[in-house]
Amino acid sequence: MIRALEGYWAAEGCVLMQPYHTELAAGTMNPATFLRCLGPRPWKTAYVEPVIRPLDGRYGENPYRFQHYFQYQVIMKPAPEDVLDRYFASLEGIGIDLQRHDVRLVEDDWEQPTLGAWGLGWEVWCDGMEITQWTYFQQLGGFDVELVPAEMTYGLERLAMFLQGKASAFDLEWAPGVTWGDVYKESERQWSAYNFEVAPVDVLSSRFAEHEDECRRLIERRLPLPAYDQALKCSHTFNLLEARGAISVTERAAYIGRVRALAREVAQLYLEQEGDGDAAA
Amino acid sequence: MATLLLEIGCEELPAGACREAEAQLPMLVERELGARPDRVFVGPRRIAALLEDVAERTPDEWIKGPPEHLAEKAAAGFAKKHRVEVEELERRDGFLGIERPGRPLAEVVAERLDAVVRGFSFAKSMRWDDHGIRFSRPVRWTLAKLDGETVVGESSFGHRFTEGAVAIPTAGEYAERLRAAGVEPDAAERRSRIVSGLDAIGGWGDPAGVLEEVVYLVESVNVLEGTFAERFLQLPERVVVTAMQSHQRYFPLGDNRFAFVSNGGDPDTVRTGNEAVLEGRLDDASFTFERDVTQGIDRLAERVGSITFFAGAGTFADKTERLRGLVGRLGGGEASLEAARLAKADQASELVREFPDLEGHIGAEYARLAGYPEAVCSAIGEQYLPDAAGGPLPQTEAGKVLAATDKLDTLDVSFSLGNRPTGSRDPYGLRRAAIGLCRLAVEGGLTIPRDLLADDVREFVEERLEGLVDVPVEYVRAARASTAPDLAGVAQLAETLYAERETPEFDGVYTAYDRANRLAGRAAEEAAAEVDRSLLREDAERALAEALTAVSIHGDVRKALASGATLAPFVERFFDEVLVMDEDETVRANRLRLLLDVRDTLGRLGDFSQIPR
Repeated sequence: MIRALEGYWAAEGCVLMQPYHTELAAGTMNPATFLRCLGPRPWKTAYVEPVIRPLDGRYGENPYRFQHYFQYQVIMKPAPEDVLDRYFASLEGIGIDLQRHDVRLVEDDWEQPTLGAWGLGWEVWCDGMEITQWTYFQQLGGFDVELVPAEMTYGLERLAMFLQGKASAFDLEWAPGVTWGDVYKESERQWSAYNFEVAPVDVLSSRFAEHEDECRRLIERRLPLPAYDQALKCSHTFNLLEARGAISVTERAAYIGRVRALAREVAQLYLEQEGDGDAAA
Repeated sequence: MATLLLEIGCEELPAGACREAEAQLPMLVERELGARPDRVFVGPRRIAALLEDVAERTPDEWIKGPPEHLAEKAAAGFAKKHRVEVEELERRDGFLGIERPGRPLAEVVAERLDAVVRGFSFAKSMRWDDHGIRFSRPVRWTLAKLDGETVVGESSFGHRFTEGAVAIPTAGEYAERLRAAGVEPDAAERRSRIVSGLDAIGGWGDPAGVLEEVVYLVESVNVLEGTFAERFLQLPERVVVTAMQSHQRYFPLGDNRFAFVSNGGDPDTVRTGNEAVLEGRLDDASFTFERDVTQGIDRLAERVGSITFFAGAGTFADKTERLRGLVGRLGGGEASLEAARLAKADQASELVREFPDLEGHIGAEYARLAGYPEAVCSAIGEQYLPDAAGGPLPQTEAGKVLAATDKLDTLDVSFSLGNRPTGSRDPYGLRRAAIGLCRLAVEGGLTIPRDLLADDVREFVEERLEGLVDVPVEYVRAARASTAPDLAGVAQLAETLYAERETPEFDGVYTAYDRANRLAGRAAEEAAAEVDRSLLREDAERALAEALTAVSIHGDVRKALASGATLAPFVERFFDEVLVMDEDETVRANRLRLLLDVRDTLGRLGDFSQIPR
């Protein structure tokens, strides 16, 4: 399935990227999406992203909730006029017969407050199951996008369950004779224990502040790409703190505000440098 | 005359945007084309209007310029602005101007349709390219047909997956050609087909009201039926129904059956898929439910101390303590006290985190499973009632008490933090809470002492009574100033005063109050602290003072009115025979005090100056 998606989107001219090297809560946070979707330059990419959401872990006991799973992320910037048709063709490419199934676009407005980002779009339903989050970005880092990108985020486990007719992700055939559960179930248990019980709250709190400081320092040195990594680390540290139950409702808003401020400053610096690049060219 | 079709083809519009478009389209078409559409078609992928008798030319237009006597100064500018030579200007009724002949409709439709597209205003809109148009979702095609002539675009499009481009030979054939291509363009027709499909299955429900949304989620109506495994029936029914409706927009049919509407596909395939999705959701809910039940409501209740009610208002543990205190002051018994202890426990449950709308209901269910008495459980389930305008009130006594404490506390805490509703903004639902409180008192018969409310909260709550009690607002305002001890008392007083307004008793009280108030009300600061009987010189004033001591304004309002009315002749005689504004200051002060005492005694029945005569 992943190979089929890679082949399809490569043929559409997308740069095939690899997963990013630090924890992300969504494929959108990968700089190949968040930063590249800013500014005036066209960009097309597709990649698998393992997403890490500590709060969603269920010790491997719930067949639908995991702290680690996979998204397939596609960006087309600017969105071509027939972008939806191209997306639907990709579904046919992985074996979904659009005439036999009931495929629908159901309103879903996307917002990511930690990134100061929002867009309008849909969740794509296939016979009532959500298989893709589909968004036309409008703002990232608090800045209006110049060329409106289309983002398509496929839920790979959901899609595979649908295609293989499995009721639990753990039963998915991940490779011949090997299930998804064989590979990830124990890791779900251990990571859930770490996220909910073991992760050291005091260390994480000070680590958040360290990443925040480093991000600001890198912004001063006008290095937006490394600075963005530090903002991502802040975001992940915040997610861990939240899973540990160490954040009250009021603190939560304050933490989100701090990450958003970093994302905004990084986006601003990135845009300034993009603008310089254009001027030089 | 001709028939004109305008169609705006979109990527899938949200249901809310469809309804906005439906409301705005007739006005926009009228503004741009001078006639309202005879038919409007709105669905997820298209917004269309049909005008059956339009003139094939737009009317001639007279553009009025400056008056003739200002021609020298103004003609050149006017001509330049409209891109004509000064010599071309015509004269009519003393003004210069330009006669713009009408144009063939076919020539102007493109620009007018563009103006219609740009004229929509959606609650949420987006950009998608550099045309500068904002719309709910991208517009991908437009089509205009004037009878058989295509004036904008090329064709329409049928069902997204089964049909491609659809030729529309003439404007009048629009709907039938689309129907042949798997699209029902008429929302009313889709609605009636969904309803008749559901009726044919029978026994359907729609407690969350998803029908109006489903009408705009499909272009082709296929009502299907599905089932889920019976083991999920052990879940509380509300959880099952919410799982079906809130996300999947299914219609519960009772037991383990449900109905849903698809936009196409092979019915068996689509049914199997939807059944699997619902079972997945129910599986997830069961998993969560069992984890909560394993904990039990008592342990959940112990954990609410780590959940913030809202900023500055402490945790749910603090709220629970306050509720227990209020239960006593509202005269609640053992059941409501126990219900208050457990009321917020479900805030710590995973199921409420998943389905916030089920707060209260989940708590009631968990209390039942833990074996608490039914009075306690149903009170927990009723604590948020009434939760809608005109919605039902709690049925049990303990439920009424708990529902009132919850609202009292929310109002009290919000006001003390300065979170008053402003304009249309009321994020904490304080208006609803205040109306709920009034209804619990007036309709529910719950005694809610007025001194339980801080002044600003009481003011806010009692203002809601004005809209709730079915008498002119002046009577409620009058009654609010009375000494009625509780909210229901204020409402009853207002009703009785209104019912009695034509009686001699009411008239007597009103007149006595009014005369005393008119004279003494303005001079209150000159009045003595209390009446000194030794200073009462005239018979008339001694008689009034004597009569006043016999007046009793307590309990039954009609008796109180009758008693108060006995003062009327004494007041009248007083004004006939006594000069209040005596030269002797102490005498004057004493007489003013006597009148104020008359007013204030009668004022226990309300502020009669609010009631116009």
